[in-house]
Amino acid sequence: MGEGAAEDNDQADRAQAQQRIAQWVRDYSRLPGIPDEFLGPDGAPRAVWRRFFDAFGALAPDEVERRFGMADRHLREAGVTYRAPGDSADRPWSISHLPLLIDEADWKQLSAGITQRAELLELVLRDIYGAGKLVAEGALPAAAIAGSPEYLRPVCGVEPPGGRYLSLYAADVGRGPDGRWWVLSDRTQAPSGAGYALENRLVLSRAFSDLYKSMNVPRVAPFFEAFRDSLRARADRDEPRIGVLSPGSFSETYFEHATLARYLGFLLVEGDDLAVSEDRVHIRTVAGLKRLDVLLRRVDSNSLDPLELDASSRLGVPGLIDVLRKDGVVVANMPGSGVLEARALLGFLPALSRRLLGEELKMPHIATWWCGQKSARDEVLSRLDQVAIEGAYARGVPGFDQNGPVLASELDTAGRQRLADAISARGMDYVGQEVVRLSTMPVWDQGQITPRPFVLRVFAAATPDGWAIMPGGFCRIADKADARAVSMGDGARAADVWVVSGKQVSTASLLPATDKVRIRRVAGVLPSRAADNLFWLGRYLERAEATLRLVRALGSPSGPNKGTAASLQSSERIQRLLVSWGAISQASRAAPGRIVAEALQSPERFGSALSLVRAAQRTATSLRERLSPDAWQVIIEMAERLSYEVEDDDGVLSAAELTLQELSSFAGLAQENMNRAAGWRFLDIGRRTERAINTARFARQFAYDEAGDEDLDILLTLVDSQITYRSRYLLAPILAPVRDLAVLDPYNPRSVAFQVMTLNEHIAALPSLKEHGLIEKPQRLAVAVQAMLATAEAEKLEVKTLFSLEQDLLSLAEAIGLHYFPHGPNASRPEKLTGLA
Amino acid sequence: MIYDIRHVTTYEYESPVSFARCTLRLEPRSGGGQELISHHVEIRPRPVERHVRRDFFGTLTESVVIEAAHRHLRIDSRSRVSISREPPARDAASPPWESIRDIAFEATSLGPSSPVGYVFASPLVPVLRPVSAYAAMSFPPGAGILTGAVDLMHRIRTEFRYDPKATVISTPLDEVFDKRHGVCQDFAHVMIAGLRGLGLPAAYVSGYLRTIPPAGQPRLQGADATHAWVSLWCGAELGWVDFDPTNDLLVANDHIVLAVARDFSDVSPVDGIIVGSPKQKLGVAVDVLLVE
Repeated sequence: MGEGAAEDNDQADRAQAQQRIAQWVRDYSRLPGIPDEFLGPDGAPRAVWRRFFDAFGALAPDEVERRFGMADRHLREAGVTYRAPGDSADRPWSISHLPLLIDEADWKQLSAGITQRAELLELVLRDIYGAGKLVAEGALPAAAIAGSPEYLRPVCGVEPPGGRYLSLYAADVGRGPDGRWWVLSDRTQAPSGAGYALENRLVLSRAFSDLYKSMNVPRVAPFFEAFRDSLRARADRDEPRIGVLSPGSFSETYFEHATLARYLGFLLVEGDDLAVSEDRVHIRTVAGLKRLDVLLRRVDSNSLDPLELDASSRLGVPGLIDVLRKDGVVVANMPGSGVLEARALLGFLPALSRRLLGEELKMPHIATWWCGQKSARDEVLSRLDQVAIEGAYARGVPGFDQNGPVLASELDTAGRQRLADAISARGMDYVGQEVVRLSTMPVWDQGQITPRPFVLRVFAAATPDGWAIMPGGFCRIADKADARAVSMGDGARAADVWVVSGKQVSTASLLPATDKVRIRRVAGVLPSRAADNLFWLGRYLERAEATLRLVRALGSPSGPNKGTAASLQSSERIQRLLVSWGAISQASRAAPGRIVAEALQSPERFGSALSLVRAAQRTATSLRERLSPDAWQVIIEMAERLSYEVEDDDGVLSAAELTLQELSSFAGLAQENMNRAAGWRFLDIGRRTERAINTARFARQFAYDEAGDEDLDILLTLVDSQITYRSRYLLAPILAPVRDLAVLDPYNPRSVAFQVMTLNEHIAALPSLKEHGLIEKPQRLAVAVQAMLATAEAEKLEVKTLFSLEQDLLSLAEAIGLHYFPHGPNASRPEKLTGLA
Repeated sequence: MIYDIRHVTTYEYESPVSFARCTLRLEPRSGGGQELISHHVEIRPRPVERHVRRDFFGTLTESVVIEAAHRHLRIDSRSRVSISREPPARDAASPPWESIRDIAFEATSLGPSSPVGYVFASPLVPVLRPVSAYAAMSFPPGAGILTGAVDLMHRIRTEFRYDPKATVISTPLDEVFDKRHGVCQDFAHVMIAGLRGLGLPAAYVSGYLRTIPPAGQPRLQGADATHAWVSLWCGAELGWVDFDPTNDLLVANDHIVLAVARDFSDVSPVDGIIVGSPKQKLGVAVDVLLVE
């Protein structure tokens, strides 16, 4: 092809692109009277969007779909999820594939407004919990604060450790009809969304990497780096230990807590992981209590300490507030900071800005009338139909059972009267807010773009050099016209946010500068709860494997279902095992097909392979920050496969076979990819313990004193040692050699002896809490079992020895649990003293 | 009048408790016609840590850590107080309740005695429309604050049934209100909820009653345990006035105040967490003897 032809092609492409863009613009039906991000008042695309669509339009339609698909796959594979209130399972994250674009100059103004606001709010908090001048001098009504459930009396007068109230501040903003950005609400408690913003960015910048680069979008990594460094600097020692305090895996945004912990290099902890002693907060680890210096909390203030705040809370740390009084831990944000989320305060901020900063607020907020004041109340009551009614202090409108604002215009006559009465009786509990029509942005909808209202959450982190603003943010797009009600619950989508710059941007990532880093080979401490979860993850998966092997042995054509008397007996043995494991309800001679299907995928049987894999998945959910995406993906795939109903015996067997392969690929991933620190050991300890117990039980069941060929053969299959046996003995199975291979042979990686030997290695390598210089119980038991196995002779082994071996292994498992996970599921949790004392 | 108070709290656990962290609010406060003469708390087993501070509401709060394994916990508090109060008469004149509501709301202090801290819902006392409506019947427009509150107290005393078996601490207010029964704590919470529903500043008081009534008077309800009642701010002149809805009386010299705050959750005399035994048996014995 000549050059001229290539040029022609290029030109044709360009012409096509322009056509596509022109079509999009034509079909983009703006909502009347509402400003739009994409199209200016003149109906032409704004400069930044023009630039974006010029490049985007150059992609062929199938290429666009391919990249969108790639973004969705990334999200699915990374397991990005959230949970809406009331959900029992995680929902996949839904991302709008077009980013929100913000021009650099526009962004500068927005950042300046947010910076000023963050500074102002810090000063207001300092006064409210400190000197109290604003209230005493009438700049702030006492009632506007006293009414907030987030006004925490126990921290009044407590100087925040680390020197500040707000470490991370966020504001929800939208663009008003006048083209300016407006603050809709402040997030001062524990702002969420930064982690999701990070994921959105990772996904979109990968799917559209060329486009992303050409737009000169500043990266978000330096923001997180600054945030991390400032938290580190606030602790009172170098190399501080920092935890992200999460309510746990049932929390709506648990995924985000795990993301932040992993990305920032913090520990993901829950209240149960922490303990107060000697005026400090400590984390319970497998090596005992370790001091924790900083807590980035995602637990609301009132739940933080059952001794001084909400007594029914199980999410906090008893005694935490007292540690704050003694300056023993930095909590970000400082408990009580949430008081500034009260809408009652909004109206006072302009005057407070003049008073405390000596300047006007740079950014307006949505007009708000606090009905605690008579003039404002009268105003609201006189134009009840034009305002939205919100609670003055917390989410929800007192007396009205709904999440978002109450609009009088949507109520019937009785409802309106009730609303007006409520405001007249206790006006201080309500605010009226102007109903603002926020600007819309384009979303992709089957080859077209359509306008949708959105809310942008902007994040600010306090650093020693002032406030750092995340360039970008968390954008939520509504399907409703009133965008203020946008939460991720109701079909909303998230979008990445690109600040579009004219010049090249630096490519800082989270990799720290080398001179600041001390070389480390072991990753920090392992919280007992994480160790506990790893242990059980290992056990569930190993038990699932054993169940699948039994299913395979029972169902395979060469297996015991051949109809002879001996086979029937063997089949019964297998079935009895499955019954005692809770994999099937009862044994049956008549319907072996139904039995294998039940053991494979009955959701009602707690011991079925499906239930075990699901248990592993639940456990892994709490370990998200410690598992590689690949490992997580394998677990998800197994759970999906097993929950998909199979038709016939062949289907059952092939599902079992495939799942067994996935189990071994999980084991391979763990073996090859997991850091050999304590975490991997606990996963392996779980797996070895379970395998040792199961193998001992299999040996007892199938290598009993009078066992025949067939049962011994089954045992060899179950412990995957057929080939070793045949290559070693070239004979039909005989009792003593089979027992030796399955139980005593330390060279066979499937034998009980091999598991116990490995367990001993692990235990010896784990941190010891030696008290009084005595050998610890798990080690004592494991060494004893190993000695027994090492000195036993296969010919003299008796079934009752096998039975006591199994009992010893069960005791060992229990001892490991009690020793390393002292607050595990069976251990004692703190209890409240009860009764009217 | 001088009283000797003995308040013994015991916990018996089914299995050994290895750790306890408790918060004690057992020291009677001084002020409002009450003076603390002496106070002492003995704890067995002996704590490894004891320290005291005043909480936001001015209550002396002792934090205690016990690390010795134990099956019994015994907290023995002894106090001596002198009391001399002069409550207003039940039918005394007082400002209209609406003016109290408006003044309380305008307060320019967030301090513990500022009425504005007591007009909002608190952890155990939600503001509920039916309860507010119930209270409103005692407060016709322009009614004196005292007259209204006395009437409300009297109605609670006559329309609610005292029944120690009917409720526990965690029984929610709406259930107490619907079933019209409970103990002193419930009656106090209901009255507070009603008053706050009208925008009036009402606080919760925990304390004791004298055990043996003066000659010729009936024994008061709740005298063998800790007691609870209501404090209502009645304007600058009358200040905080205490109402006992369990016994339908204005508090005079038979009541000893331990703590005043928003509701029971702020003043619980013994609170804490333990590690080791989910099953526990609580015993509380209170003796209030008139010394002179």
